[in-house]
Amino acid sequence: MYNGIPISWYLLISAILFTIGVIGVLVRRNPLTIFMSIELMLNAVNLSFITFSSYLNSVDGQMFVFLVLTVAAAEVVVGLAIIVSIFRTRRNINVDDMNILRG
Amino acid sequence: MTNLTFWVLLLPLLGFVLLGLFGKAMPRSAILTIAWGASGLAFVFAAIGFFSMLQTTPAARLSDQVLYTWVNSGTVATGVLAGNVPLTINFGLLLDPLSATMLMVITGVGFLIHVYSAGYMEDDEGFWRFFAYLNFFIFAMVLLVGADNFLFLLIGWGLVGLASFLLIGFWFTRRSAVDAARKALVINIIGDFGLMLAIFLIFQHYGTLNYLNNSAGNGVFNLVTPGGVAVGITTAICLLLFVACAAKSAQLPLYMWLPDAMEGPTPVSALIHAATMVTAGVYLVARANPLFNVSPAALIVVAIIGSVTALFAATIALTQLDIKRVLAYSTISQLGYMFMAEGAQNYSAGVFHLTTHAYFKALLFLGAGAVIHSLGGEQDMRKMGGLRSRMKITYVTFVIASLAISGIFPFSGFWSKDEIIGSLLTRAVNGGGTLFYVLWVLALITAGLTAFYMFRLVFGIFFGSYRGSGPLAHGHGDVTLADEEEEHVQHGGLYAIHESPRIMTVPLIILAFLSVIGGFVGSYALFGQPAWQPFANFLSPIFTSPAWTKVPVQDLSLNPGLTWLSTGLSLALAILGIVVAWRKYGRGFEYRESKNPLYQLLLHKYYIDELCEAVILNPIKWVGRAATALLEGNLLDGGSRGIAWVSRGTSSGLRRLQTGYMRNYALAILFGVVLLVIYYAVVRG
Repeated sequence: MYNGIPISWYLLISAILFTIGVIGVLVRRNPLTIFMSIELMLNAVNLSFITFSSYLNSVDGQMFVFLVLTVAAAEVVVGLAIIVSIFRTRRNINVDDMNILRG
Repeated sequence: MTNLTFWVLLLPLLGFVLLGLFGKAMPRSAILTIAWGASGLAFVFAAIGFFSMLQTTPAARLSDQVLYTWVNSGTVATGVLAGNVPLTINFGLLLDPLSATMLMVITGVGFLIHVYSAGYMEDDEGFWRFFAYLNFFIFAMVLLVGADNFLFLLIGWGLVGLASFLLIGFWFTRRSAVDAARKALVINIIGDFGLMLAIFLIFQHYGTLNYLNNSAGNGVFNLVTPGGVAVGITTAICLLLFVACAAKSAQLPLYMWLPDAMEGPTPVSALIHAATMVTAGVYLVARANPLFNVSPAALIVVAIIGSVTALFAATIALTQLDIKRVLAYSTISQLGYMFMAEGAQNYSAGVFHLTTHAYFKALLFLGAGAVIHSLGGEQDMRKMGGLRSRMKITYVTFVIASLAISGIFPFSGFWSKDEIIGSLLTRAVNGGGTLFYVLWVLALITAGLTAFYMFRLVFGIFFGSYRGSGPLAHGHGDVTLADEEEEHVQHGGLYAIHESPRIMTVPLIILAFLSVIGGFVGSYALFGQPAWQPFANFLSPIFTSPAWTKVPVQDLSLNPGLTWLSTGLSLALAILGIVVAWRKYGRGFEYRESKNPLYQLLLHKYYIDELCEAVILNPIKWVGRAATALLEGNLLDGGSRGIAWVSRGTSSGLRRLQTGYMRNYALAILFGVVLLVIYYAVVRG
């Protein structure tokens, strides 16, 4: 591939980033951090898309990336609004305290 | 010929919808405008149809308006329609001499009852509701009579039952009214079921439900021929139809609902007993005459049931003390006469008696209503008497109606009833045999009994001295004056009783007029001159003309000599009945309860209600109780409780999974993804 760097390296970085993101979502208690972890997962996926796009000489993957970026931006807006709203009512945004949907 | 039946049908429906939706908020004048307008205009349109029909030749008096195609399906190849005929069911309105006559009676008498009700129901809270139901009743009845096929007949038939349920149970806070309404509905539904079965059989064997050939297809009655469908099948159809007729027209053994139907307001009794409802059965037999004509067995059943019912109900009426109950049994008895005539194949005599009966029975009920209204709700004859001097119009009209129903010359009942009795004798002579002689004798006895119980009622209400203690509650505001109150005390309450307001007496006068002259259109049947019978001639195409039937009624023109004989006998018996009543009650009705077992049997209405209770109701109740005890607790409840227990147990286990922590869900998703990856990468790959 380009400059002789093999595709597997790109994919390896993508997988590592994704795993870090997953672990972040699972172990962190601050919703802001969880959001950042989700962003990390999305960007890991974006990296894979771009890698394949370049490898296959196709722009499809790049188009998906734009889509993902847009959705991610929208999601952050909604998510932050929810967090602000929760903070206003509960004075606290620790996810361990949020279990009112328990069955 | 102008067929305005659609408007006759639409206007009462419109009135019902308007009153039903908005009546509660309307002032009385608006309610009356709508209710009277709807029924009055319906009468006008029916009359236009009727009189424009008189201008045409008999063969042209048939108009079948197909308004709407309801079912249009593939082909049917059953029954006598060989080959493939498309099945279409239309909503159409048939105007012919029979339905035109019926529409005149329904809307005409119905309108008079609407007028009268304005006075009678004046103080009732449910004023608007009452008129909405009345309009609905007229609509249902017009649909029943105007429909041009059996399916819409069934719809009208059911709606009439519903309307009667609503009106009988009008005072729904009274337990007895609710029970009576329920009884009427249950028995009517037995009849509806018979009608449905008959319709299934008709469809199976004739492949169509239209009455007559029309633009949309063949008609049943045009397909009926003596050799067409097996006689057994036709008899089954006729008997099932007659089950429906017996339920609607209160014939044995399905008559029980009618005496109880007087729980409704009295104008409702007048409407049910005279103009609508009970006439439906008589109408249906006349309408389906081609079917009955090919089944002698069914005709004999109709004649026997009619005669036995007539005598049975008349004997019960002899002893009853509630004036409305006497009238209710007399209705059953008179309907028996109509079915007798139809069983003897003199259908037009049955319909003729239907129309004259509509006049005088409506009059009797409205007159009884006026009496009850003036007495503030008193219905017991033992607490009446002497009202002649206080209620002159009611008295005179009531006597006219009683003379008419007793069959006294020249009132309307004389002509119609004696035509029926004469036709039974004619039938007996012309091959009817012993059976019809017996039925003729029964009819004669019933005529005598009718005169007796009607005049027992007249003398009990209007003659002798007053036995009550004044009105139960004040019907009118004008009797509260102090001096009148004093008089009331002094004169045993008679002076507190007043004639009804004009809005109630005018319908009485009109109906009395009709009860006097209504018989003349059929009067010449006695003389055996077919050309002199306008009513029978008007209806005869239904029973003889090829456009209506292929099995014309055999000529049963009355033998003049026999008719005079039977008329003389029945008139003599009727006069005898009146004389006996006069001798017994003319100086006032003194009630002495006799210990005579026959009297007790009649007073308790042959213990039929008790018998039903013992034979039908109690076993049902026992089964119900046993089922409650055995099945309900353990089996049914146990089953449903078991299901609830299982699902509650499962869910209480499963809901532990739903912790509410987002992290747990995310972990679950991760596990899912990992499992999928393993599956695709390791197992499939």
